[in-house]
Amino acid sequence: MIGYHCLPHIQEDAQDLDALTLAKSYFDLKEYDRAAYFLKGCCSQKAYFLYMYSRYLSGEKKKDDETVDSLGPLEKGQVRNEALRELRVELSKKHTARELDGFTLYLYGVVLRKLDLLKEAVEVFVEAIQALPLHWGAWLELSNLITNIEMLKSLSLPDCWIKDFFMAHMYTELQMIKEALQKYQNLIEAGFSKSTYIISQIAVAYHNIRDIDQALALFNELREHDPYRIDNMDTFSNLLYVKSMKPELSYLAHNLVEIDKYRVETCCVIGNYYSLRSQHEKAALYFQRALKLNPRCLGAWTLMGHEYMEMKNTSAAIQAYRHAIEVNKRDYRAWYGLGQTYEILKMPFYCLYYYRKAHQLRPNDSRMLVALGESYEKLSQQVEAKKCYWRAYSVGDVEKMALLKLAKLHEQLNESDDAAQCYMLYIQDIFSCGEQLEHAEVSTALRYLGQYYFKNKLYDEASLCAQRCCDYNDARAEGKALLRQISQVRDQVETPSADLFTPLSNNNTPVRRVSPLNLISFTP
Amino acid sequence: MRMASVHESLYFNPMMTNGVVHANVFGIKDWVSPYKISVLALLYEMTSSKITLPERRRLNKLILPLQQGPDLTLGQFLKTVEECCPQTAYAVKLRLHEMADGELKDMEYFFSTLPTPFSAFDSEAHKTSVVGLFMRHMLLAYNKLSFSQVYKLYKSLQHYYHSHYAKPTDGQVGLPALAADDSEMDLTSIEDTVGVRVDKEELDAPLHESELRSDGTPSRGPLSQKQAEYFLARQAYLLKNDENKALKPAALQEELNNMLKFNPDFAEAHYLNYLNSMRVQDIFLSAHSLLHYFDRLILSGNEGKSNGDEGYGRSLRYAALNLASLHCRFGHYQQADLALQEAIRIAQESNDHVCLQHCLSWLYTLEQRKGSESTVLTQDSVKMAAHFCLPYLGSLDIQSLVQQGAMQGKAAHKLMDALKDTEILHWKHSLSELIEISLAQTTSIWRMYGKSTMALQQAQLLLNMSSLEPVNFGVHQNNTEAFAVALCHLAELHAEQGLYNATSEIFQHLKEQFPPHTQHSKLWMLCDLKIQFERHMNDRKYHLAEPLVKAMSALNKTEGLYRKAHVLKALNRSTEAYSILQQLQVHCEKTKCTEIIIRVMLSTAELHWESSGFSTALPLLLQALALARQHHLQSLASETILHLAFTQLMLGVPEQALNVLHEAMEPILAHGAVIDKGRAMLLAARCHMAVAGFKLKGQGHLDLQLAALAVDSLNEAASYFSKLKCKERLRDVHYLQAQLYRSLGQTSQSNRCAMNFRLLDQELQSPAPPVFMQL
Repeated sequence: MIGYHCLPHIQEDAQDLDALTLAKSYFDLKEYDRAAYFLKGCCSQKAYFLYMYSRYLSGEKKKDDETVDSLGPLEKGQVRNEALRELRVELSKKHTARELDGFTLYLYGVVLRKLDLLKEAVEVFVEAIQALPLHWGAWLELSNLITNIEMLKSLSLPDCWIKDFFMAHMYTELQMIKEALQKYQNLIEAGFSKSTYIISQIAVAYHNIRDIDQALALFNELREHDPYRIDNMDTFSNLLYVKSMKPELSYLAHNLVEIDKYRVETCCVIGNYYSLRSQHEKAALYFQRALKLNPRCLGAWTLMGHEYMEMKNTSAAIQAYRHAIEVNKRDYRAWYGLGQTYEILKMPFYCLYYYRKAHQLRPNDSRMLVALGESYEKLSQQVEAKKCYWRAYSVGDVEKMALLKLAKLHEQLNESDDAAQCYMLYIQDIFSCGEQLEHAEVSTALRYLGQYYFKNKLYDEASLCAQRCCDYNDARAEGKALLRQISQVRDQVETPSADLFTPLSNNNTPVRRVSPLNLISFTP
Repeated sequence: MRMASVHESLYFNPMMTNGVVHANVFGIKDWVSPYKISVLALLYEMTSSKITLPERRRLNKLILPLQQGPDLTLGQFLKTVEECCPQTAYAVKLRLHEMADGELKDMEYFFSTLPTPFSAFDSEAHKTSVVGLFMRHMLLAYNKLSFSQVYKLYKSLQHYYHSHYAKPTDGQVGLPALAADDSEMDLTSIEDTVGVRVDKEELDAPLHESELRSDGTPSRGPLSQKQAEYFLARQAYLLKNDENKALKPAALQEELNNMLKFNPDFAEAHYLNYLNSMRVQDIFLSAHSLLHYFDRLILSGNEGKSNGDEGYGRSLRYAALNLASLHCRFGHYQQADLALQEAIRIAQESNDHVCLQHCLSWLYTLEQRKGSESTVLTQDSVKMAAHFCLPYLGSLDIQSLVQQGAMQGKAAHKLMDALKDTEILHWKHSLSELIEISLAQTTSIWRMYGKSTMALQQAQLLLNMSSLEPVNFGVHQNNTEAFAVALCHLAELHAEQGLYNATSEIFQHLKEQFPPHTQHSKLWMLCDLKIQFERHMNDRKYHLAEPLVKAMSALNKTEGLYRKAHVLKALNRSTEAYSILQQLQVHCEKTKCTEIIIRVMLSTAELHWESSGFSTALPLLLQALALARQHHLQSLASETILHLAFTQLMLGVPEQALNVLHEAMEPILAHGAVIDKGRAMLLAARCHMAVAGFKLKGQGHLDLQLAALAVDSLNEAASYFSKLKCKERLRDVHYLQAQLYRSLGQTSQSNRCAMNFRLLDQELQSPAPPVFMQL
């Protein structure tokens, strides 16, 4: 509505001013029918828009009320906004007569979209944008209707500065993060450096490509500039959740509740907070509340599914995930969640389908690949499992588990060379991260490598591994035992072939194999 | 930015409790609708007014379908009632008019005047009667309505009533004549027609509506729960029993999408979607729908009156089992195996023997499909089914056991005994589907054994049987696989007798009943190709037969390969033919396909003949004979004997050949195809001639008695071949006849035959093949 104040006043506006002001008050009080009634005779563009918009919202409100009072379960999904058709007829008449301004065009577009006339809706939104480029609502509606980049390119949009915002928004939506970030950077340089909107969008973009630290930094900055902001805070809380930053999340949640506790974002943040504290019932409750506020809120459905999973309420979890998929078929987390649910129900073959779906949607996400691999392993399909693990490692394994699993698989299949190589890569991988992951099974890897080198008579390498084993509590005894064995063997063979042995070991080792000696540099 | 989200956030879902959206939040399936009010009005009129006895009878018959059927429009409803009793229809219309043109209080008044089932003790509306129960349901549902719902109901009643009058329908606007003079009509006939008519109305209703709705006409109401259920049940039934009566795949898909759009919780629609996708062999969509269905089912199972965790555990098992069957149908045996293992494991964990039993029968099916031995598994399955009292599965197992037994050459009387026993079981439990399968199976077994008369009889028995289904949606005969099989056998039997017109008629029928896109169409396609192929081969039109081979290979690889060898052999490309036959033999020995093995042996023997390797052919033929006898394949055994006799004739021992031939003569004349009869007679004549000392062009001494026999045989052979219009062979026969007559001194006869030969030879224009080097 803000846009109206910028428009020049003309004669008709002055005439309708009283009626408009009265109606606007009713409108603000959500008495839409009343507002529409008092605007009936007005002829100014402004009044006409408010008149139509009131009628539209009145229809929507009635539709929602109807759902409660439906006469049968099957009528539930079939309640329609009865006003839509009338509005469409009136607006299309005016549209052909070219009497619609930017706002009414926008409304016409919304009506068309609600009637599922998507193609027409796109055309009308484009028209609305051309008539009134600065109305962001029309851009947003349009963005919901664009499904791919080709479609985006084919639209003729006005060359206005706001188009850059739109393009950046679209790139984010279409998961073209690099382009989006470039656009936002350009906008910042063009003078929008203080815009909280842009900062938040960049943060969301980083979140989408899982650059958690960057995203967190940006959100923190955003909170400084705009402390009462609620938009996008659910994304922020997701990041905090992933990083297990309990105090920060708690602070955020309390802060948001103080600002407005009946917002979807707030509910999601609180849900995340409870989930992190392992109070899953409460978490589910808050996600439910979020859904009551907006049932099309996709993230909440999936998150609720996760909570039910934690509570071992599999059927409710399946339902929640299914709803998420219904809202958006491309929600890979929901597919993944469904897969997990069936995995918990011990149906590894059944869950394959879901994991495959998730993998299709995110081909370069290692988590799905690892899950697929695990399922295959359970079904004794080792070849497929190996492929999955290797691919998971190749696309950049997040949890660093793929190699370990691959190594163990090779170990089971008695493919000791491959197993050793995988363990080696695994150890390198772990150490190259710089930090010791808590659950890392470096000791297992070292133990196996020690034995492997020992069997292949590479005593130097074996002893090195054994020594390193001693750094870990669970492998200390074995490490020492191995060291003893090595020294025994060395004592036996020392005299005959001390220098003969070295070239032999070099030959034995395949070229691709990395010598363990360079592990030293990574010593924690 | 806010404006866009305003539209969405206004929406609020009241059905959601505890994060779960319930499809049926109150657990009531009955809701008052304008149609239901009309039915109530009808019931009310029936109890309150005086109606003549025949009319009352007709109305009584109407009550149940009206109560349980889907909602009808007022026009349809009034028409049905009118046909039974115009007077009541008028009264009902009047009452509805009172309500619709009056005020809300008129409707309220109507409900208050309804006879309460609790008070009316002697009337039909007593609380335990069907009518009483319906009334109680309706009253309860009505009383539960909130204020605004009552108002809404009244509005929709008005709409219901007025929309009937908005469009003028012929003859229904004017009030019907009150004088009913049809009471003298024959009662029984009326009752019959009424029943049928109601059925038809019901059938049309959902389809009609759907068509309108897809046109985007908003005035039509959506499907109610009952209507949707009815639609799904009907389509599922048709898919199973008579596929081409069901909606076309695309139309059905659209219909289902529509239904799901309005009611995403209607899980059964997903299942139907799965069935529909299976029809068009769409693995992607069918898997998707199947899993979606079970995702939904798991919920409703949990919600329902489940006993403990059994609620969704049960559906989990069946979900895995269904997935296995899906993969099995698409030929993904490894996947199917994995899914089945999973189902078995879950079923074992929860001690569900019934499910395990289902798994077991799938297991042996799978093994069978994979081509491995599964008799033991099947036997186990029969035992288990008997133990858990599952007649359906049990006799299905027995049937598949019989099939395996027949393939392995088990004693025929044992198989027939087993089938007879299951038959008793079927009739006892009226498992109509299995009765059909069993009949088709008997047909096939008789055909395999070479008893064409018995096969014919069984096939006719099946085809003349009318459907035994308790609820058949106007389908008088099912279009199941069993029928397709029986019809194919019938076609082949007719073709064997040279009745090609009848054969083509049968195929015409098959084409109508099982259009090419349906699942059982492959059966008749292959059968049709085989018959065409045989005809072309007999006519020596190899260039026409050759393209058929490719089509056959597409439908059945083994059969295609075998026929290919045939064509190659006929085109004198012996080396290629021989290598294919060898390949086939190895393959069939692996898959234990005895019939093809024997055929391959015979063809190989024929190849040996061409290189005059008659003595090498002998052991092969003896082996084939032993195999055929072991498996009781009479027709193949006779064919082998023919080959054997021919070989012996060529080896110069016609007496032996005659002896052997006598053995096969009887079964061939009794059961064989016309061509076989002709070949047998021709061979017999040649043997006789050889024994009689007849030599081509030679003028030795002739045994006249044997020669007379030969003349008879040749005449008979000629009649058989002319029936088939098999001119090549006929030419041979005439040649022999001419020679024989000449050596017997009957010159005029000889000349006549010679002329026939000459005419045919001119007509055929192809050089005669090396005389009599073939059977």
